[in-house]
Amino acid sequence: MTDILEAPAPLEPPSVAAPVKQSRRKRVRQDPVTITLIVVVVAILFFLVLLPLGKTLSTAFSDKGLATLSKMFTSPVNRKILLNTVVLGLLVGTIGTGVGFLLAYAQARLQWRGKKFVHLLALIPIVSPPFAVATAIITLFGRGGIISKQLLGLNWNVYGLGGLTVVLALSFFPIAYLNLLGMLRSLDPALDEASESLGASKWQVFLTVTLPMLIPGFAASFLLLFVEAIADLANPIVLGGDFTVLASRAYIAIIGEYNLGAGAAYSLVLLVPALLVFIVQRYWSTRSSAVSVTGKPTGTIKLNTSNVARVPVLIAVGLVMALIITIYGTVILGGFVRILGINNEFTLDNYRYLFGGIGSDAIITTTLLALIATPIAGVMGTLIAWLVVRKLRRAAGVMDFLGMLGLAVPGTVLGIGYAIAYNSPVDGWGLRFLPALAGGGAILGGAMAIVMVYIARSIPAGLRTGIAALQQIDPAIDEASTSLGGSGLTTFRKVTIPLIRPALLAGLTYAFARSMTTISAIIFITTPQTRIMTSQILSEVEAGRFGNAFAYCTILIAIVLTVIGLLTLAVRDRPDTPMPTPGT
Amino acid sequence: MTDLAAAEKLLDNTTASGTLRLRGLTKEFGNGADKVVAVDAIDLDIEPGEFVTLLGPSGCGKTTTLRMIAGFEDPSGGQVTLDDVNMIDTPPNKRPMAMVFQSYALFPHLKVRDNVAYGLKIRRTPSAKLREEVDLALESMNLSALANRAPNQLSGGQQQRVALARAMVMKPRVLLFDEPLSNLDAKLRERMRIEIRTLQRHLGITSVYVTHDQAEAMSMSDRIVVMNGGRVEQAASPDIIYRQPASVFVADFIGRANFLDVEKETSTQQGRARVKVLGHSVDVPAHPDAPAAEDVVLLLRPESIRLKAVDTRAGGGLGGHEGRVLFSVFYGDHVEYEVETEHGTITAVVADPNVDAIHREGDDVEVSFNAERAWLLPRTRQPG
Repeated sequence: MTDILEAPAPLEPPSVAAPVKQSRRKRVRQDPVTITLIVVVVAILFFLVLLPLGKTLSTAFSDKGLATLSKMFTSPVNRKILLNTVVLGLLVGTIGTGVGFLLAYAQARLQWRGKKFVHLLALIPIVSPPFAVATAIITLFGRGGIISKQLLGLNWNVYGLGGLTVVLALSFFPIAYLNLLGMLRSLDPALDEASESLGASKWQVFLTVTLPMLIPGFAASFLLLFVEAIADLANPIVLGGDFTVLASRAYIAIIGEYNLGAGAAYSLVLLVPALLVFIVQRYWSTRSSAVSVTGKPTGTIKLNTSNVARVPVLIAVGLVMALIITIYGTVILGGFVRILGINNEFTLDNYRYLFGGIGSDAIITTTLLALIATPIAGVMGTLIAWLVVRKLRRAAGVMDFLGMLGLAVPGTVLGIGYAIAYNSPVDGWGLRFLPALAGGGAILGGAMAIVMVYIARSIPAGLRTGIAALQQIDPAIDEASTSLGGSGLTTFRKVTIPLIRPALLAGLTYAFARSMTTISAIIFITTPQTRIMTSQILSEVEAGRFGNAFAYCTILIAIVLTVIGLLTLAVRDRPDTPMPTPGT
Repeated sequence: MTDLAAAEKLLDNTTASGTLRLRGLTKEFGNGADKVVAVDAIDLDIEPGEFVTLLGPSGCGKTTTLRMIAGFEDPSGGQVTLDDVNMIDTPPNKRPMAMVFQSYALFPHLKVRDNVAYGLKIRRTPSAKLREEVDLALESMNLSALANRAPNQLSGGQQQRVALARAMVMKPRVLLFDEPLSNLDAKLRERMRIEIRTLQRHLGITSVYVTHDQAEAMSMSDRIVVMNGGRVEQAASPDIIYRQPASVFVADFIGRANFLDVEKETSTQQGRARVKVLGHSVDVPAHPDAPAAEDVVLLLRPESIRLKAVDTRAGGGLGGHEGRVLFSVFYGDHVEYEVETEHGTITAVVADPNVDAIHREGDDVEVSFNAERAWLLPRTRQPG
């Protein structure tokens, strides 16, 4: 960078003896408001994610943690746990991606009726609580299962790898489905047409064009599902049986053995692949311009009507849908009978129990905390997105990474970190920064820490949708505002927010659903004063009171759907552009 | 279409047009081996009320220069001063300038009126005054009937007017235009050229206009700054740029040009030279650097060339200044010829042609030109 002093000699000496401060040679001249925002955002992210994460790391490398870590690959027990985790991840990644692709392909490329309905069905697992599928599977296919035992007379053992794989694949396939559906729809139809005009049959087009173009999508989906599967805590607790994985081992270490160090050590092993996948994905998405999206599709794809393709694919789709309907039917029905499959007498006792006792308490608290966290996370996510897309240059990647970190790390890791970091006050340099936030003795009965976890894990949803929406907006619109005198914050408030609000609300509904259904991140910091539905469901399941668990799950799904519905209405009722003036 | 009276009332002579000076303005992108100098130490003085166009091929640094003036890019070196105040440390939103964008950049969520009022609201203009000024701005751009429309309900030309009204209402000391007409169709573009120029001349706002369209530059500017590779090739009035270009690049970029390899005989006097061309020894105007240059070319604009039929039956000897017509294309208002001569193929244009007198392909013609319209140039740009 050339300093002003070294600037090439002007034609005539500048008539300006102007107040030029020659020492100023900042590269990016941010206005003070923006700089303040950056500092505030980083500080908040520090307390939300970095501090807990750092605590998990330091605990994992403490004496107790190191004792576990050093045996991680040597002790046969631990080796078995590691192997189990990896096998589970591989199976879920493969099966989930396969199921997701099947549905996405049927949606995007085949001609049939009922697409909208199947699309909504396929998304249900996203909004459902973690134990719904597992509990229903036990009821249907367990030792006394309705289908396995009573219908088919088989003695299946649903506990273990098989059951876990089915449950996790069913729970996470929507991620792969949405991912691949988006990709399939953004493929340029001209490519298919070019291939066909060169003589390829439909099948050859599929093999030589469609599949190869989707490889990055397959890889991304597989990796995401792999990480989700190995980090999942809820299902292995309920359905694992003797099949122990890292997440459930960490849970046992902390809840059963009171060994935080060991818990942190086990979860650390989860952190490594999760962060790796996250980084690989980011690397991919930055180069993805060459992969698929050509921006403006030049035509519309002609849907495949050939029965050779439709019959097998649609039968498979039908089976998956039947399974989903059966499972969620079981969940809803199970709440209204004594013990589904054993005593099918209609009763409202389960709901009476919930609404009468601590259940209503948990329902209100959980909904309230999630409702508090969601808008905060939305504003934070949008702010970070705005900084990343518009304000920061070199630091944009770092800021984006920090924002995503809350979701990139496994919930178990974050949860353990919160338990360690906020069970006691945060002190430093002789100052008390924060009182104890988590645990029974904390302020607000530990609710503060739970809201923080919700925010940390919801920010990425706002961030991603915010970045996507902002990138659609011509930067000249921001510059126009600046040129007209708007500061950074004014521009953000008066131009950016109104323009990305619809996208933002969509991201927030997802974030809300995520908060309501999260378990692994908050299971270590729930307290008797602050009851959370998901952990209540876990204790009902562990106690074998499936009826109560089903009732809880039904209520939770109902709440999530209601809030999503209300938000959708809110977006629809506020048109973004003024109505046309009549008569002109 | 524009209402000058309203525009004048809006500005109310309260706006002092600015003197804009660029000194050694430089912009480098990247570091080390990747370093690209987008703008290379530009010096430029723009007088109050002057309309200056930055013209050049894409990648010449014209837009980067404009964005540095606006404050959207931080210079790597040099100064931008407005009325002798250095602007470098002033953030873009504090600079008394307003920009009209290529994409118009209208706020899609705001009505036309609110788009125009946006800047005044930020400035906390009292509401009565705000309403009055917004009304005047809308009126001056003939937009009053569209005030309550959303931007996406307007045609391209209307959006362009809103963008202009939104900038004008701020009463800027400098108006900046970033290729504002490039998204309009040809007819509308020509009309907007005239409107912008009329408005600007009438109100006397200092304006910097970026374009790659030479017709736009020629028709609107007081002064054209031709840029190439981050440097200024020439900054002069449109007629000087056209008739007396400073370099082959400028001559080639503006209008159409024939470059004839000629031999320099003598430098007769200041600004003139005698050259041997088309078999004659001709005294032509010359670039100051031409007499000293080793290698020179003669610039002949196609419309300066005259063609005359040669009566081949007379059997007269060809004097060496004849040519043969290779192509002859009739455009209605003019005929365009490609003529093979001893200096290579040259293009000639004859306006308002007499249809019977059009030369056919293969015809032999006598080639001549108006010596006062020729311009002798050094082949390569002289350093410094």
